[in-house]
Amino acid sequence: MITLYDYELSADCYQARLALAVLGLEYSRVDVEFYPGREHETEWFTELSPLQQLPVLCEEETTLYDAPAILVYLASRHDPTASWYPGGDPALAGQVTLWLGFSRALAGSAGAARLHESLGHLTDIDAARSRAHTLLRVLDEHLWFGEQEGRDWLCATDRPTIADLAAFPDVALSEEGGVSRIDYPAVRRWTDRVKRIDGFVAMSGIFPAGPVAA
Amino acid sequence: MTSIQPGRAWHPVASSGDAVVRHVFQGRLLGRELAVWRADDGYVNVWENRCLHRGVRLSIAVNDGRELKCQYHGWRYSNRTAECTYIPAHPADAPARTICNRTFAVVERHGLVWTTLELDRPEDLPVLPDDGRPLALRPITVAAPAAQVVDALRSYDAGEDLRLAAEAELLLRFDRGTAPGLTILVQPSDATTSVVRGVLHGVAVVDRDRPPLDLLRLHNRALNRVRARVESDLGPLQAEQQEPELELLSEELAELPPLSRPGRSASLRVRVERKWPAGADVAGFALAPLAGHLPAAQPGAHVDVHLPNGCVRQYSVVNAPGEGDRYVLGVKREPDSQGGSSCLHDVVREGDVLAVSEPRNNFPLRRDAEHTLLVAGGIGATPLLAMAQTLAHHGLDHELHYFAQTEDHLAFRDRLATLGGSVRRHLGLDVAATKARLGEILAGYAPGRQVYLCGPGPMIEAAREVAAQCGWPVEKVHFEYFKNAQEIDKESSFEVALARSCLTVKVLAGQTILEAVREAGVAMPSSCEQGACGTCLARVIEGEPIHQDVYLNDAEKASGEAIMTCVSRSASPRLVLDL
Repeated sequence: MITLYDYELSADCYQARLALAVLGLEYSRVDVEFYPGREHETEWFTELSPLQQLPVLCEEETTLYDAPAILVYLASRHDPTASWYPGGDPALAGQVTLWLGFSRALAGSAGAARLHESLGHLTDIDAARSRAHTLLRVLDEHLWFGEQEGRDWLCATDRPTIADLAAFPDVALSEEGGVSRIDYPAVRRWTDRVKRIDGFVAMSGIFPAGPVAA
Repeated sequence: MTSIQPGRAWHPVASSGDAVVRHVFQGRLLGRELAVWRADDGYVNVWENRCLHRGVRLSIAVNDGRELKCQYHGWRYSNRTAECTYIPAHPADAPARTICNRTFAVVERHGLVWTTLELDRPEDLPVLPDDGRPLALRPITVAAPAAQVVDALRSYDAGEDLRLAAEAELLLRFDRGTAPGLTILVQPSDATTSVVRGVLHGVAVVDRDRPPLDLLRLHNRALNRVRARVESDLGPLQAEQQEPELELLSEELAELPPLSRPGRSASLRVRVERKWPAGADVAGFALAPLAGHLPAAQPGAHVDVHLPNGCVRQYSVVNAPGEGDRYVLGVKREPDSQGGSSCLHDVVREGDVLAVSEPRNNFPLRRDAEHTLLVAGGIGATPLLAMAQTLAHHGLDHELHYFAQTEDHLAFRDRLATLGGSVRRHLGLDVAATKARLGEILAGYAPGRQVYLCGPGPMIEAAREVAAQCGWPVEKVHFEYFKNAQEIDKESSFEVALARSCLTVKVLAGQTILEAVREAGVAMPSSCEQGACGTCLARVIEGEPIHQDVYLNDAEKASGEAIMTCVSRSASPRLVLDL
């Protein structure tokens, strides 16, 4: 049985919920009150997650506390088609890892700006926003040329990967941190595509996409 | 330096490729945010980026291919005209025509979507060299005012042999030799942001599906270099924010409405674009606007058609949601035609111009039912077809039961075919068999169900009777008659007080309330003027009406709170109306 230590409004936790949903996995949730209760700083939680990071995923003997690690683990263990994490293909595995790293940079900028605005974690807000825009420019260019090449997703494959799931939350929630996506049209189209992945689930602040054309 | 004065009226606001179907592009021009979306029929809409209800951005709305649905309270806006077509919080009401979002003119040309914020400027779209398929470069947003961006672009160098050859406001053209090579347009997004949009000319595109990526990357790199230079030269921007000019409410909406001329008006001119046999004895008409857009028709709506012979007739609009480029009507030839259907069948031809009213919806469709039954008899299918197409498009559970003499008598079979399995045909049934079949269809009333009836009078009577026997409450049974076959008694005489207008008028024998009210100078809309369509309804404050219409249901009639002023009269010597 999979257990997810989860906070509803966390973008990192949402990455894990997205992965569990698209993989069609059942799991039980343990609510950790990040804000305002700061439950992630308690002794019992620090034992589980030494860096006091959410989410934490437990399955049998495995306990993981880092969102990209959880995504890699879930896809490797539970996706027999190996399309969500194409670890056997060196080039693709490299690309996935690249974008997982990019998603951490998004968490440290767009995500940090959001935590500053709404969840009481103060940061240098101007620097965070400026860094977020730098990343979104790169992402938009990558996705725009992808569209020209007939590629819908972050990695060069015709199926979405965990890279898309990892990058999506902090992008789709960026406006809560005062980072507008108006200047990134290719990013906006990509978020619509992610929302149309089979099994996609929304969270507070993320609206579902409409029906696809027949 | 800090503010951009609008000069040239037309600006590109998106690439054609930005406006993909089932997506809403978020744009910006001169400080004003825009929601740009392509409907499934290919039309690109450029609207003010806000819902009229609570101001939520429509760039996060759902583009369902025909309408935009706001994510907040589900208000729906129609393709082309941006009229609100449905408000979920008021499921039984047809939204007023004045609930209409702001739209901007659109032209799609040279691989770009162009718009203008200035309504009174004539079209002065920049003319670009048009040499087959233009190739739009990746748009580059620059955090700098448009004038600075244009300055920096004069020395644009992509390593190709391009030379600045012509310049106009926010436009630079580079030639290769004597042939046009590249046009760069700078979109003034707001006081501190611009978008550089390039269009390459004369590119030999071998494969339509494989754009010349090397060329696109080359220019993308060069434009990125320009951006880096402009932004580093400028440093952090201190410019004042540009506020879009927000116009005041139009005079028409702010003032009391002018006294209108009495009688039925036909504000639209349409051309008969197509006339075709849409079923046995049924002529289909597609009516296209002479200019501009037609007001959206909600499902259940009808228009008055003013005929060359002076007759005015009501026909339901068959259109599906978002089908805004024409009105589709179905006209059955009536053997005892008084001049309406025979004129449309025999006289009116393709190319003719007709006057029609704006669509009016007195037969609105609720979209909150768990299951909707639509029961059509003969040409009564027309409003129900519009409803069925709407329910099908929204994925709402429904059945369309269509009673007709033969398969040939089914109208608009092409549209029926698109509805698939929700259509049930009931062919060649006599009166008794029809009634028995209605009993089967209406059996098993459950809360959450609604039924809509339209067809010949006796059939609606029978269906209402059967529905009552099956336990349907009257408010769940909606109906629309083609005409009022009752004998209208006009012999009485009484007084009508108009509470809002502070007037008392005398209704004489032989005169209708509607006529007396209009004679006193009070404007009152009307359409069929025989008690069938519901347009001239007035609320009764005091007094006892004698109902002679077929629009109100029994409960509404018994409550005495509303009256159809074109046919009904008063049992009390005085009637006080909310007019």
